[in-house]
Amino acid sequence: MTLDMQKLAKSVIDLPLARGLEVEAYATRQRSIRVEVSDGEVETLREAAQTGIGIRVIDDGRLGLAFTTNLGKTDLLNTLKQAVVNAESASSDQHNVLPSAKQTKALELLDPSMLDVSIESKIGLAKAVEQAARSRDSRITKVRQSTYSDGFYEVGIANTRGVSVGYEGAYGAASVMVIAEANGQAEMGWSFDFSRVFNELDPGKIGEEAADKAVQMLGAGQVETCRVPVIFAPDIAADFLQVLAPALTGEAVQKDKSLFAGRLGEQVGSPVFTLVDSGLLPDGLATAPVDDEGTPSQRTVVIEQGQLKCYLYNAQSAARDQVESTGNGVRPSFKGTVGTGPRNFYLEPGNVSQGDMIAQIERGMLITQVMGMHTANPISGEFSVGASGLWIEQGQIKRPVRGVAIAGNLSDFLKHAAVVGSDLRFFGSTGSPSLLVEGITISGE
Amino acid sequence: MHLHKEELLKVLEIAAGQGADFADVFVESTSASQIFCEQDRIERVIGGKDTGAGIRVIIGQATAYAYTNDLSVAGLMEAAKTAAAAAKGGQNKAVIDLRSTAAAYDLPILKRPDTVAVREKVALVEQVNNAARKFDHRVRQVTVSYGDTVQQIVVANSEGLWVTDERIRTNLTTNVIATEDGKIQTGYESLGGIIGFELFQENDVEEFALRAAGRAVRMLGARPAPAGRMPVVMSGEAGGTMVHEACGHGLEADLVQKGISVYANRLGEQVASSLVTVIDDATMPGKFGSYRFDDEGTKGQRNVLIEGGILKGYMYDYLTARKDGVKPTGNGRRESYRHRPIPRMTNTYILPGDDDPEAIIASTDKGLLVTRMGGGQVNTTNGDFVFEVSDGYLIENGQIADPVRGATLTGNGPKALSIVDAVGKDLGFTIGRCGKDGQGVPVSDAQPTIRIPELVVGGIVEED
Repeated sequence: MTLDMQKLAKSVIDLPLARGLEVEAYATRQRSIRVEVSDGEVETLREAAQTGIGIRVIDDGRLGLAFTTNLGKTDLLNTLKQAVVNAESASSDQHNVLPSAKQTKALELLDPSMLDVSIESKIGLAKAVEQAARSRDSRITKVRQSTYSDGFYEVGIANTRGVSVGYEGAYGAASVMVIAEANGQAEMGWSFDFSRVFNELDPGKIGEEAADKAVQMLGAGQVETCRVPVIFAPDIAADFLQVLAPALTGEAVQKDKSLFAGRLGEQVGSPVFTLVDSGLLPDGLATAPVDDEGTPSQRTVVIEQGQLKCYLYNAQSAARDQVESTGNGVRPSFKGTVGTGPRNFYLEPGNVSQGDMIAQIERGMLITQVMGMHTANPISGEFSVGASGLWIEQGQIKRPVRGVAIAGNLSDFLKHAAVVGSDLRFFGSTGSPSLLVEGITISGE
Repeated sequence: MHLHKEELLKVLEIAAGQGADFADVFVESTSASQIFCEQDRIERVIGGKDTGAGIRVIIGQATAYAYTNDLSVAGLMEAAKTAAAAAKGGQNKAVIDLRSTAAAYDLPILKRPDTVAVREKVALVEQVNNAARKFDHRVRQVTVSYGDTVQQIVVANSEGLWVTDERIRTNLTTNVIATEDGKIQTGYESLGGIIGFELFQENDVEEFALRAAGRAVRMLGARPAPAGRMPVVMSGEAGGTMVHEACGHGLEADLVQKGISVYANRLGEQVASSLVTVIDDATMPGKFGSYRFDDEGTKGQRNVLIEGGILKGYMYDYLTARKDGVKPTGNGRRESYRHRPIPRMTNTYILPGDDDPEAIIASTDKGLLVTRMGGGQVNTTNGDFVFEVSDGYLIENGQIADPVRGATLTGNGPKALSIVDAVGKDLGFTIGRCGKDGQGVPVSDAQPTIRIPELVVGGIVEED
């Protein structure tokens, strides 16, 4: 692949209409394949190719955006015109700025081996995941979908302040969801993994993990309503970090939408809690030389041993606080605007295994599934979600539990974090080890 | 879109030309406009056009899907070849005769949003912002988002179907943030439908703003919800998230056929209280989930899913209907040309009953009254579901008592619907974007006031 997205973006900046305005163009091209296998046969094969461009215009502090998937010269000019017209209706904000050109690090995000993987190998991987799940346990009766998917992407960003960058990358991912059945009860388990190198995906591990998760829930019952210590499995702890992330942005603080407003330097969590954001993490899914508006990526410690060190910034929110952008300008796609968001965002691991965490609990629960996480409120910090998992007594797993709910506030969640596990794992761009939190309400019988 | 029938016919013949059982093409051009207000400013105005086509080939139980932004005949031919090659069929030549299909009903748009000046849309957004900010000094932040889409589609398939349609949707959302003594609470409201700018003549946007602001301020004084199992009354104004999660998803035919729905193999059986009738209806004028044709060109329908507690039918798209040997029910939907169609809900509701809503509350000794539901989720395999209470009150001795905040309710679909013991004569819709397999589609849900004698309330046990 060539880096012509950078040229495409630059061609918009070079249009005569862009002269005298602040203009940015963000161009992407993506190719992807998704294979879904069921009962050893290919059920769906999806191939996709798309290119799009988003144009941001700042005219006297007023922000206008327009996007298009049609890339002819006239289409680009018309899209730029539309962005200019849209800016006329927006309010002026002196902090609406585009980043200036800075030195960036070259990163290797496209492993050459990814280009050589045949479609047969991709299908084979999805089949191997399904097979591993089915042969793990005789109680695995159904596989909803065993999938392999990959993505190849090219990004080009150019603006009238001299930014002109491009990069390309690829990743592969596999996932599976299985059903275990016994005594008229059906339970679900899933697993997922990704890598920038195809050969590093381990179908056996993925299939077996999903099978184990489903089987361990068979025979699940209720518990009495109680307030106990809870261990969040890495994927569930990562879900909580995702809810936490928006509150740690300078943008949320400036807009009175953060429970961390005015608390820089304060102890907001227990000393075991160190939270990091990095756009440079080796192998990270959100790793790139620059953020989505062309600011170089960096590593930022947001919370260090419980102390709030800084907020995450894009160019606009940084200008408002008179600080430097932390490289956290993030856009949902070429169609969206640049907001502030985490890159690779993770809880630093400790040195306690999940087994040792369980061993130190007198009475509590290991939470392995939650439902309704999207209803947690990142502004108030309040959450109340459905949960299932394993009941712990005297340091041992006793029985599976489902149909309960857990509730609390994220600020208490941080303060009451007692032990951080050694098992850091990434789920997409968010990562966490197991996390033991004291005093969580479990609503049940 | 400048595509002719003859051009798409050629594309279809290539897609279906290698012995496929079925092939279809979905061409889309969507213009979107969005205005966003925060910090008392119009922060941004966005507009754009997204065009592309998805081509699907089915052989046996296997589906191949390819999509492209390149709407030139050459680009479409390329995508068709990709899909056909992936399906790897035989050599039968396809002979296709495309016949136009007319809609069975109209969904009239009175004032097209693409004829309304950006200025007028901005004024509307400012009106909401100003009304919410004036409501109370504790209101600290107001976000208002206006959006409209004009989606033009062409669907053609190897069975000769040719459908063209235009869907216009308009929506408005606001989130109000109130603070007091270090506490932060939010109030959210949304409004929208397959409707034009007349949406704002039929609804008072200032009232809309005050509802959101009122909720944010009220929640500042609310106490945490109690924890544990208790009777729950859902008010008719609360929306329909519960029915959507508790039984809607489990009645989508793809999940049923995979055997990962608690409602699989239960047609004709009693799956809910005899008071419960559940309907999914794409034909309702103005509703967010309505359409004349689904995304496979099948006409929209009113489908009775559960009648008097008896399971009557599932929601089908083309592929799942073929597998079960039934007709598609007009529930084949996709987020955009980037996605293949799957069975989805449209406007889903529980049919109103005979009970007086106030009497239902008055006859409840102790429990929780839900006056607004937020988001939800379901595990279709075991039927466990959750939904968020974004506005609720305690019920004490048949009276509405203190407001409570921050609760999720959890239950099991078939069990919860089987013990419903009161169904009111009211009905209230809320809108949302429903997510499944990575695709979001606009839907609406509604319920009358109903009572479920026990659900688990995910509240807080205070520290001793």
